[in-house]
Amino acid sequence: MKFTYSTMRDYVATSLDAEALGDLLTMAGFELEGIEEETSEDPILDVKVMSNRGDGLSILGLAREVLAKDAGSQPTDLYLAAKSGFADFAPSRPAEATVRIDSPACNRFACVTVSGVSSAPTPEWIKYRLERIGMRSISLLVDLTNYVMLEIGQPLHAYDLGKLGKEIVVREAQDGETIKTLDGVDRKLSAGQLMICDASRPVGVAGVMGGFDTEVDDATTAILLESAHFLNTSVRKTRKQLGLNTEASYRFERSVDPKITDVAIRRFLQLLKTVLPDVSISEITDVVRSEPVEVVVELELARASRLLGMEITLEEASRYLSALGFEILATEPLKVKVPSWRPDVVRAEDVVEELGRVHGYERIPEELPIGHTTMGGIHGKYRLSDAVIEGMIRLGYVQVVSHTLRSEHPLDAPTDRIGPRNPGSPELALLRNSLLPGLTEAALRNGGKDVHLFEVGQIFEGQVGNTKEFPHLAILSTGKLTPANRASEQPPVADFYSLKAELEAVLTGIGVTPQFSTKEFRPDARFHPGRKAWMLDQAGEWIGVIGQIHPLVAEAADLPEATFLAEVWLDMAFHNAQENPQLNPISRNPAVSRDIAILIDKSVPFDDIKSAITTAPTDLLEDYWLFDVYEGTGIPEGKHSLGIGLQFRKMGANLTDEEGNQARDAIVAAIVELGGILR
Amino acid sequence: MENVGSLVLAAEQEITAAASTADLKHIEIKYLGKNGLITSLMRQMGSLSAEEKPAFGAAVNTAKATVQQAIDDRFTALRFVELAARFEAEKIDVTMPGRQTRVGYAHILHLTTLKIKRVLGGLGFRYEEGPELEDFKYNFDALNYPPDHPAMDDQDTFYVADDLVLRTQCTALQGRIFANEKPPLRVFTVGRTFRNEAVDRTHNHTFHQVDCFMIDENVSMAHLKGTLGTFARAMFGPEVKVRFRPDFFPFVEPGVDYAISSPKLFNGRWVELGGAGLIHPNILEANGIDPQKYSGFAFGLGVERIPMMAYGVDDLRLFLENDLRFLSQFQGIAA
Repeated sequence: MKFTYSTMRDYVATSLDAEALGDLLTMAGFELEGIEEETSEDPILDVKVMSNRGDGLSILGLAREVLAKDAGSQPTDLYLAAKSGFADFAPSRPAEATVRIDSPACNRFACVTVSGVSSAPTPEWIKYRLERIGMRSISLLVDLTNYVMLEIGQPLHAYDLGKLGKEIVVREAQDGETIKTLDGVDRKLSAGQLMICDASRPVGVAGVMGGFDTEVDDATTAILLESAHFLNTSVRKTRKQLGLNTEASYRFERSVDPKITDVAIRRFLQLLKTVLPDVSISEITDVVRSEPVEVVVELELARASRLLGMEITLEEASRYLSALGFEILATEPLKVKVPSWRPDVVRAEDVVEELGRVHGYERIPEELPIGHTTMGGIHGKYRLSDAVIEGMIRLGYVQVVSHTLRSEHPLDAPTDRIGPRNPGSPELALLRNSLLPGLTEAALRNGGKDVHLFEVGQIFEGQVGNTKEFPHLAILSTGKLTPANRASEQPPVADFYSLKAELEAVLTGIGVTPQFSTKEFRPDARFHPGRKAWMLDQAGEWIGVIGQIHPLVAEAADLPEATFLAEVWLDMAFHNAQENPQLNPISRNPAVSRDIAILIDKSVPFDDIKSAITTAPTDLLEDYWLFDVYEGTGIPEGKHSLGIGLQFRKMGANLTDEEGNQARDAIVAAIVELGGILR
Repeated sequence: MENVGSLVLAAEQEITAAASTADLKHIEIKYLGKNGLITSLMRQMGSLSAEEKPAFGAAVNTAKATVQQAIDDRFTALRFVELAARFEAEKIDVTMPGRQTRVGYAHILHLTTLKIKRVLGGLGFRYEEGPELEDFKYNFDALNYPPDHPAMDDQDTFYVADDLVLRTQCTALQGRIFANEKPPLRVFTVGRTFRNEAVDRTHNHTFHQVDCFMIDENVSMAHLKGTLGTFARAMFGPEVKVRFRPDFFPFVEPGVDYAISSPKLFNGRWVELGGAGLIHPNILEANGIDPQKYSGFAFGLGVERIPMMAYGVDDLRLFLENDLRFLSQFQGIAA
């Protein structure tokens, strides 16, 4: 809402300059957006009016706030005149228009007819004030309707009486009716849209815009002036359907005082007569379909003080509320009648806000809450999620955070997709169903090689009516695992096994022991078919996938072929996370180690060897590890040699060499059963 | 006896002349070793009379001790010289770059979130999350939005279905908590929110919010201000002051917009941080909570605002672009 400083001074005698006025309005809830031409004699203030405070869309409404908050400001005669509804005028003749309201969307419709008007120029001061706030001066009659709206917030419309029948009907349009609006556009109406009509046709869209055919012009000699009150939801619906946002619709949507319908007409005529003193004016036709509901609110002042955290006395409360137009009906407890321009105030707490606002929020002290203490902090799955992030960072991964809304990508998961109905751009058409596309884009943005990135975020799948949202961890690892510091160094590069070990480390960090299986959970063409594993937790539940990127997908995604990816369904991983591991006692006796080399078919999975080792008939095995995988010279085709370290230990007694050998032999025997040969 | 004296003299000359600790080792063996010149003197004992023996023995022992002392002293001196030479020879250029290793680090939004969690968790608020794909009901209706009200125009919403939206505000969590828990309640969340608006330096269709709320007996605007002030000072420094200004959000009454100022931020200018207020009694009643007995406060703010203010980030888009030249600059932030 823009207005010039002088316009406000018409209503309030104040020593506050434009800046102080702006600060006051800001602290009253009407935030100053800016002051234009601040150094000029008459600066322009622009304040933001909250969507529940339609009364602030007028000079009168803002003046009320200034008077309530600033004891040094005084109302002017004009303010007092407006407050009392402006002086009645002496009509020259009886009302000549009839009005019928046929829809509950119109609460009240008032009009007068005025003859003897001419195309006299708009007074300079009005033209100046309108133009300075960006409203075009059109003609005396149109300018006056706009100026009255600016002053007291009531939208008005002047019809050329020569082009309009005198039987006004306010009714809802029927499908297919049309109207050409003031902007020259032919509009097709649909049922339910509220129209102002004469006996033959719609002549205006109620609360939005008048009709082109009944527009006033230089030849106009008589007018019908409309001032009405429409239901805000009706105006909003029609405005949205027609895509027609106007100063009038903006105000009606946010509420217009239902009691100033006639007041606005009197102010219009007052201003008109200063230009054209000899016009002939009819009596007002004023049809009220429904009276505004009077709201009375009761409030315990002690409770108000308690909620605000500052003491407000009865004297202060009465003063503040009276200044805002509330009528004090009783004081013990406080009982007030809410003014007609404040539909936002319906219950005690709303009045508490009024008291706080006027008393000044800057007077509220800072206190920390007392009362019941509850368990604060971060617990359960939220703590585990943070631990996963911490674990990935510890492994040397960089965390990225990417967009949820995106376009299709070769690394999208093979699931159903959903997207917003109104994405606005194809870039925002889908909700991500995998974090890998975002990781890919992050990798490419940073060179696309030697990058190790992860993200934790939500992914979405399903169809409308059955959507699912899951927290995911996704990892992308490609290239050198550590930087080469000198030209001669050959640092290790990422492969399936580096990523596998990292996943094991991060999952172990939250109490999950992952198993890796080649058993297909679901087809997933994003991965190299021979270098992919599904991850299960210790309870055998499926928690994710790991693998090398499929070469064709790598090509499509512009990633190196040696890119390794993983996805973990975090809520499933958390589901069986063991938060309280039981301690394994530590033996203080020395260990005995034995290394073995096994020649075995490459087709025998290590998992089988692992279970042979761990289930062999010995209870001395403490640890084992793979220390070499060799194929080539001296090794038959299709076989490889595995170097395996074994470590044995007893509780409370030292092992003899013989015991170590027996334990080793038991394990070798188990591996031989799988077809292995001890080398 | 003269023999002893001359051996000591000869040893002392050799010790003084020794150029290295290695030479000294040879001298030690030569005189004091198992077959050393002084050690061997003891073998003469057999040829001495009983009267001569004690004096001779004492003389040899004294000689051994004297020579050993001389060797030790010289050793200490020589070792110092040798170490000095070695250090000089082994000197490296410490200004050469360190051996780079791979270091992981957190995204600045996560670091900020961790800090928020630490502060609000420390103030006794429990962390919770709600879905990003939210029921229309929780995003709007449960927050006291009147049907078809202009307040909804303030937030351009991404609809997935009529009743399913990408949440426009983390406040949506409140309805979910109120529907399932009873006061006293102190809860907060940090999460992703969406608004269908054009992207520029200060707007993004995807951003993050904190939402924090409590319900208890006698909760007041002063408690809200105190909590916000404590939170803001933990995030931005002990000089921070908080200011309330009336504002409208359907889910609070009274509703305020809060700003902070600090001599260390934007020259002390007031900077708006978010919205807050006392939880609207309509919401309490809708969840079976008696507004005469209980009151509550809620506040929200944009997560990105925090690093933007604290570290001078001037473009909202940077947060989700994942440029490591940007992200790597926040490794010094201890969340």
